[in-house]
Amino acid sequence: MAKLLIVDDELDVREFAANFFRKRKIQVSTAANGQEALEKISQESPQLVLLDIMMPGLDGIATLESIRQNNKDLKVIMVTGKKPQEGDVFDKCRSLGALDYIHKPLELEELERIVMKELK
Amino acid sequence: MAIDYKRELETAAKRMILVHDPELLIKMIVRTIVQKVRVTHAGILLRSRDRDTYVLTVSRGPAGLKIPAGFARTDPDNPLIRFFKEEDARSIFRTNLLVYEEIRKALRRKSVTGQQKNLLKKILQQMEIFQAVACIPSYFLSDLLGVLLLGRKRSGKGFQSDELDLFFALASHVSMAIRNAQLFQDLESELDKNKKLFLNTTLALTTAIDAKDHYTHGHTTRVTEISLEIARRLMRSAKFKLEENFFEYLHIAALLHDIGKIGIPESILNKNGPLDEEERKRIKEHPSIGVTILQSIKELGPSILGVKYHHEQYDGSGYPEGIKGEGIPLIAAIISVADSFDAMITDRPYRRALSRQEAVSEIARESGKQFNPDVAAALLELHKEGKV
Repeated sequence: MAKLLIVDDELDVREFAANFFRKRKIQVSTAANGQEALEKISQESPQLVLLDIMMPGLDGIATLESIRQNNKDLKVIMVTGKKPQEGDVFDKCRSLGALDYIHKPLELEELERIVMKELK
Repeated sequence: MAIDYKRELETAAKRMILVHDPELLIKMIVRTIVQKVRVTHAGILLRSRDRDTYVLTVSRGPAGLKIPAGFARTDPDNPLIRFFKEEDARSIFRTNLLVYEEIRKALRRKSVTGQQKNLLKKILQQMEIFQAVACIPSYFLSDLLGVLLLGRKRSGKGFQSDELDLFFALASHVSMAIRNAQLFQDLESELDKNKKLFLNTTLALTTAIDAKDHYTHGHTTRVTEISLEIARRLMRSAKFKLEENFFEYLHIAALLHDIGKIGIPESILNKNGPLDEEERKRIKEHPSIGVTILQSIKELGPSILGVKYHHEQYDGSGYPEGIKGEGIPLIAAIISVADSFDAMITDRPYRRALSRQEAVSEIARESGKQFNPDVAAALLELHKEGKV
C-alpha cells in the first residue's frame, strides 16, 4: 500500500487530510512539525510527503533542506497559504526539488489528483 | 421537539440580521445548526471577493470530519456550484436543495434526463469529498452567495422534510443578512478609499506649497507631526474633551495651514532680507487666501478654522481678525505653537535657526502672550520627553 506523510502544524488539517486519503486506500501517517517529519521519514520511508510551509520552529523550507541532505529522491509536495506568485518561496522550493506547490484554499479534487498521480 | 428548534433557528436568524461582520455571522449560523440540529459537522462555502471561487470559510465539527476553514475551495466549474447557479433543483426535487439520499433515488427515476443524471453523479462525488449529506444554497436575488454543507445527523437518521424546509428558510433568511453585511463592508472600504484619496490630495497640495517656499522645505510635515503630538498630550488632561474627529480635522488643517501662500508671490516668500510694510501686508493675507481656496469644500469642517486662525495670538495682537484668548479655536492655537516652533528651529532668509532649547524657551516666554498657555505647556512637556 502506498505511503503518504502529511506534515502540518494544524490538527484539523492533519486529521482531515489523513481521513481523506485513508478513504482512498492510502496508508497515511502525520507529523505536527518539521522535526517530527524528519523522524517519521527516517523510520517509515514514505513515498510522498505533503509538507506545509508555514510552521513554527522548523518550517517547511528548512525541513525540505534537511530532507535533501541525505535523501535526494524523496517526493515532496509543498502546501502553503501563500499565493504561488510570491516568487522567492516558490523558486526556493523548486530548487530544492519539490514536485509541486499547492496553495490553500485548495481544490480537494486537485489535491487528490496530484497526490494519486505521484503514488501510482 | 421539531417545533422547538424551529423556534431556535428563527430566533437565531433574527439575531443575525444585526451582525455586520459576515465572518462572525456565518460562524453563528453554522454553530446554531451543529448544536440545534445535531449534525456531525457543517461548513459554508462562501463566494470569495473575486466572485469566481467559493471558499470553505467556516467549519465546525470534530477534527477529521470537518474540513478546516480556509483549506478548501471550489472552482467555477465545480458541479455543485454549477448546479446551484444554473439549475433549479425543483425541476428534479421538491425543494431547491440537495440531499445525498434523494439524489441516489433520483438517479433511478425515469423522469430524470440523462444529462441531469450525469450532473447528479458528479455532485454525489463532490458531496463525498466534502463528506456532506445535504447542501443548501444561499441566494441574494439570483446571486449564489454560498452553499451550506451539512454532515450526517448524529442520530444516524435521515433529515425530515420539515427540517429541510427549515434549513432552506434559514438559508434565505441569512443570505439577506450576508448580503447586508457585505454591502456594509463595501461601503466602509469605499469610505476608507475616499478618505485616503482626500488625504493624499491634501498631501499633494502641501508639497506644492513647500516647493514654492524654499525655506520651508518639509515644514508642513513637521508642523503636522508636532500638532498631532500636542493634541495627543492635551487629550490626557481632563480640561480638554476633544471630539472623536478632532485628530482628523487637525491633521488636515495642519497639512493645509499655509495653502494660502500659493497666492503670495515667490519674490516675497523667498526674499533675502527684511520685508517692507507692503510685503508684510501681503504675507499676512495667506490665512484668508487659504480660506478662500478651501471654503467650497464643506467636508473640511473645523479644519478651515485651523487654516484661518493659525496666526492669531492669545493676547489679541495676531491676524487676520485679532481675536484673543479662548476665543481662538483650539485647532488653530495648536497649529500656531507647532508652526512657530518649527519656524524658529529652521533657517529663514532673515535669520539663522535657533536651537531647540532656545526655541522652547521662547515659546515658554510667549505663553499667555502669543500662545495659548495650555498648548505651550504641552509643547514644553513634549520637549522634556525628547519628543520634539
